[in-house]
Amino acid sequence: MRNAYVDQFPAEARVVKSAFWSSFLALAIGGIFGLVQALHRTDVLRFIDSTDYYTVLTAHGVLLAITFTIFFLVGIFTWAVTTSLDRGVVDIRFTWSWYVMMVTGTVLVAVAIFSGFLEEPPSILGSELYADVLFTFYSPLQAHPIFYIGLVLFVVGTWLAGFDWFRTWWAWRDENADERIPLPTFMVLTTTLFWYICTLGVALSILAFLLPWSLGIVDSVNPLLTRTLFWYFGHAVVYFWLMPTYVMWYIMLPKLSGGKLFSDPLARVVFVLFLLLSTPLGIHHQYLDPGIAEGYKFIAMTNTMFLLLPSLLTAFTVVASMEHGARQRGGEGYLGWLTALPWRDPVFTGMALAGLMFAAAGFSGMINAGMNINYLVHNTWWVVGHFHLTVGTAVALTFMAAAYWFIPQVTGKELWSRSVALGQVLLWFVGMTFMSNAMHRSGLFGMPRRTAEPQYQNFDFEPAVGTVAEMDAQVALGAVLLVVSLVLFLLNMVLTSFNGTSDSIPDNTYAGTLSGPEDAPEILDNLKLWTAIAVVLVIFAYTLPLASIVESGGLFGPGIDGRQLSLGADLEPALETLREVVA
Amino acid sequence: MSSATERETGDRAVESDSGDIGTVRELGHDEFDPIGTLILIAIYFAILVMLWLFMYFVEFLGNGPTVVGSLATVVGLA
Repeated sequence: MRNAYVDQFPAEARVVKSAFWSSFLALAIGGIFGLVQALHRTDVLRFIDSTDYYTVLTAHGVLLAITFTIFFLVGIFTWAVTTSLDRGVVDIRFTWSWYVMMVTGTVLVAVAIFSGFLEEPPSILGSELYADVLFTFYSPLQAHPIFYIGLVLFVVGTWLAGFDWFRTWWAWRDENADERIPLPTFMVLTTTLFWYICTLGVALSILAFLLPWSLGIVDSVNPLLTRTLFWYFGHAVVYFWLMPTYVMWYIMLPKLSGGKLFSDPLARVVFVLFLLLSTPLGIHHQYLDPGIAEGYKFIAMTNTMFLLLPSLLTAFTVVASMEHGARQRGGEGYLGWLTALPWRDPVFTGMALAGLMFAAAGFSGMINAGMNINYLVHNTWWVVGHFHLTVGTAVALTFMAAAYWFIPQVTGKELWSRSVALGQVLLWFVGMTFMSNAMHRSGLFGMPRRTAEPQYQNFDFEPAVGTVAEMDAQVALGAVLLVVSLVLFLLNMVLTSFNGTSDSIPDNTYAGTLSGPEDAPEILDNLKLWTAIAVVLVIFAYTLPLASIVESGGLFGPGIDGRQLSLGADLEPALETLREVVA
Repeated sequence: MSSATERETGDRAVESDSGDIGTVRELGHDEFDPIGTLILIAIYFAILVMLWLFMYFVEFLGNGPTVVGSLATVVGLA
């Protein structure tokens, strides 16, 4: 008898399926906009006006970095909690409510962004409807209030989703008081906890500053403050995208390889480290911001380097789990076991190639994180190359590969074509290799990011190796291959949904462990403790920089609002001393 | 299960419809020695070291010293 996810949890499967389709829709639109940008920037094909470039760029960034990733995340996390706890959510109406709230928020955000394409955008709430503010949306760029309201609804939707997972776990815990938290649920809960911590920053930024500013309630804001509050959230959101990918690598990839997860305790340690360290390092995006002392930037760099640890632990654990599978499948030799892995399985191959790209992204990420070398690549195309390896491949390719397993699970329908799926994941890998390597190299000689026309009069870029034309050609070719791959993916998903139901869908299971939770110290499951430490680390990393920014620039801009933060007579000398020490 | 999209063939999948060979032996915690993983990670670290050396030339000899000018002076690069 078939035992797929849709058979076990039919109501939850409908929500998960809806979340996946929401994410695919965002991927389709955002991905095509990526091609438009690549062809425009490289001057291969320019059919939009350069003044519309930022509308395209904003749609590309928001739809892919926020909508595609997070809708897929809520689908995977709902699956992970219900499957590993072996029970449904507490109230499916509540589950639908957060999904609808996220969709509503997305629609509002999209309407605001897409109005930017109109010759004469309509005037609503007293201002023109547009939102050419890029994915980072901090001031001085200003969007229409509807954009910010949409973002708030979307984020509150994710908060409710997190509450839904927590209360499902609480209900399970009441019946299983002595049991360890199952690993997939543990991963979901730790990720949700740091999401709550980091989104407080963006909520404060929007509700206290950007939204009142766009509504005309306040005349100005402190740009450095909104930037810092954005990056307080903006780097943790990177790990929010990445954690469902890690969930897939830890609990699916070992099974797909034919083996077991090498170590459950190590996986728990990794997720605890992400809970602790994801947020107190956002200032590493602001190494070139004047107004933040070097000492605070150094603290952010140190925290960032510490965060390499869980990624390197993951590299070891996941590769060891794959090796275990390969050797169980008959693999031999020091490296000969690699040939015993199921490379013809698109789910495995997609995830494994995504992991390989992530290893390369680890190097370029270390360059970004280093304070001195960051000066070389800051705001260049290098950075764009880097995050197309992380969110654009490690995350996106893993999600697409995972969809080949998940869509049959939540629909009961067999995948339309495994061969097309395999070709699709390979094509993505090849396309991204062309595009990303050229972007990285362009950054090394200073080619800027976020510009429609990177050609300047009386100035030529001087690459050490190759030519600008060659790199532009690689970017354009890579972007075309990526969109072809994207079309193949969507085609496979659509045609799968037209398939009839099948009895040969694999069981809904995830990987067993070689070293299970019984080997993990119980303190690892003490979520209150880790959350408290995470909050303390955030307070250490951000109190002084934020106080300093507000003191020098005011809450709503220097010398404009007259509301300077008063630190009190006792704190002021101590702050001065600390500032001297770290500056 | 050896392949995510294979047809179900029971607890111990032997061969999927793509021709992949399934599990042929069970390896427990104590029998498994991840020597191949060690080799791959050693190769990765070697690549990282080479890339860092490469970045040294890009950063210091290509574009001149930036924020560590004093160090560059000490080592005779500036």
